[in-house]
Amino acid sequence: MRKWLGVAVLALAAPALAQAGSWQLLRSTLIYHVVHPLHHAEGVSHAARGKGVCQAGTCNFLVAAPVNSFQSGDTNRDLHMLQVTRGAQYPMVVVRVTVPQSALHSGTLKANLEVQFAGQDVHYNQVPFQVAAKGPDLTLSGTIPATLTDFKITPPELLMMPIRNQIPVTVQMTWGPG
Amino acid sequence: MDIGKIACVAALAAGLAWGQAATLHGKVAESSGAAIANAQVEATSVATGMAQRARCDDAGDYSLPGLAAGRYMVTFSAPGFTSRSRQVTLTAGAEHELDAALTPLLSLASLGFPSSETQGNAKEQALLNRRSHMLHIHQDLGLITMIPLVATVVSGGFAGGRASHTGKRELHAILGTTTAALYGATAYYAIAAPKIKGVKKKGPIRLHEAMAWIHMPGMILTPILGAMAYSQRSKGERVHGIARLHGEVAIITLAAYTIALLSVTVHSGPVGHAASHSLHAALHLFGRRKPVAPVEGARP
Repeated sequence: MRKWLGVAVLALAAPALAQAGSWQLLRSTLIYHVVHPLHHAEGVSHAARGKGVCQAGTCNFLVAAPVNSFQSGDTNRDLHMLQVTRGAQYPMVVVRVTVPQSALHSGTLKANLEVQFAGQDVHYNQVPFQVAAKGPDLTLSGTIPATLTDFKITPPELLMMPIRNQIPVTVQMTWGPG
Repeated sequence: MDIGKIACVAALAAGLAWGQAATLHGKVAESSGAAIANAQVEATSVATGMAQRARCDDAGDYSLPGLAAGRYMVTFSAPGFTSRSRQVTLTAGAEHELDAALTPLLSLASLGFPSSETQGNAKEQALLNRRSHMLHIHQDLGLITMIPLVATVVSGGFAGGRASHTGKRELHAILGTTTAALYGATAYYAIAAPKIKGVKKKGPIRLHEAMAWIHMPGMILTPILGAMAYSQRSKGERVHGIARLHGEVAIITLAAYTIALLSVTVHSGPVGHAASHSLHAALHLFGRRKPVAPVEGARP
């Protein structure tokens, strides 16, 4: 009887164990930073959605956010950002992340990122992220070292002065078992 | 019957069976058309439950030879992709082709974004490009306009009064006309720039546009009042009536224009904060003085 109970418990637990390898993005904050001689501007998005699947020791995550979800508090700047980044033609910023499954529970992990944005596909390797575990959830935070030239974006100008080429994107994401 | 004969009959039977067997082959690819290497294909006989498996090569091709005729459930699977099953009926001795397109487990569709949100819109992009192009010209012309505008206001100090002579008034009039023409072109590029539907205006653009309600009437009124003042002075009369307000209207117009310019150029960062404080202080002072001026001007 006990043997059968054990088998039944294992059978019921199997889907849950299988699901431990999948992740769901619970909340996120993505911030791009632009620097102009007269401005420091930030655009914030909380609209990202994401999923992750861990198979054979490797975890693959997919995170995507609409380009027009980034808000800087200035409509004019947001529309200009949308134009220079070809946001109407390529409306999503899509990030694919690959990390070893074992790294998920360490303090710092280095991830390989593939970023699709503005019609370009750019790879960033070994980008450091801080990992903080709280219960079953994981919070990842880090900065993607993006530049305008990576994505073939013409630097917007104000008073004939272009913005700086570096547009680092600060990322904070909380993932839970999916 | 000896063992040799039995083996011969068995081999013949197997050969006949092989000759009547069906072959299933095909290609496994992503929905985009990219081949999926190493995908697994499993054909399970509906009648017997017997399964046969094959792996795709680097080109995504697979082949399952030696299948008995009948109905099969064929399942295609690959790591990172959603499995897919299809039913097929195989006839003896025939070759059947069965391709499969697998959807990645992690796709935009799997994240729940509607396709309307993920598909590009070239028409809307063209509209944004046109808008930015026109506003870029608006910005450049706006900056250029500032030069004759300031020069007009400064030259106005020498063009008025009893001691002024015709040459100074004419220079003032030429500068004023240049300013008005450039302002008109600047305004055209802002007004004619395509509007983006469904966008609620936020931030400094609101102050920038609000100022237009002051400097635009000012830019229309100032030359009219200036022409009236010029005419009165040319007749040897003292400037009188509403023409007396020419200078005041011009200064208010310049102030509103300057605020409009600063509001969209300098509003964050260290330089911006300093400018913003000065701007607020100026607005505060302006706000205190503002109610007084019309009352004084209204008196006979």
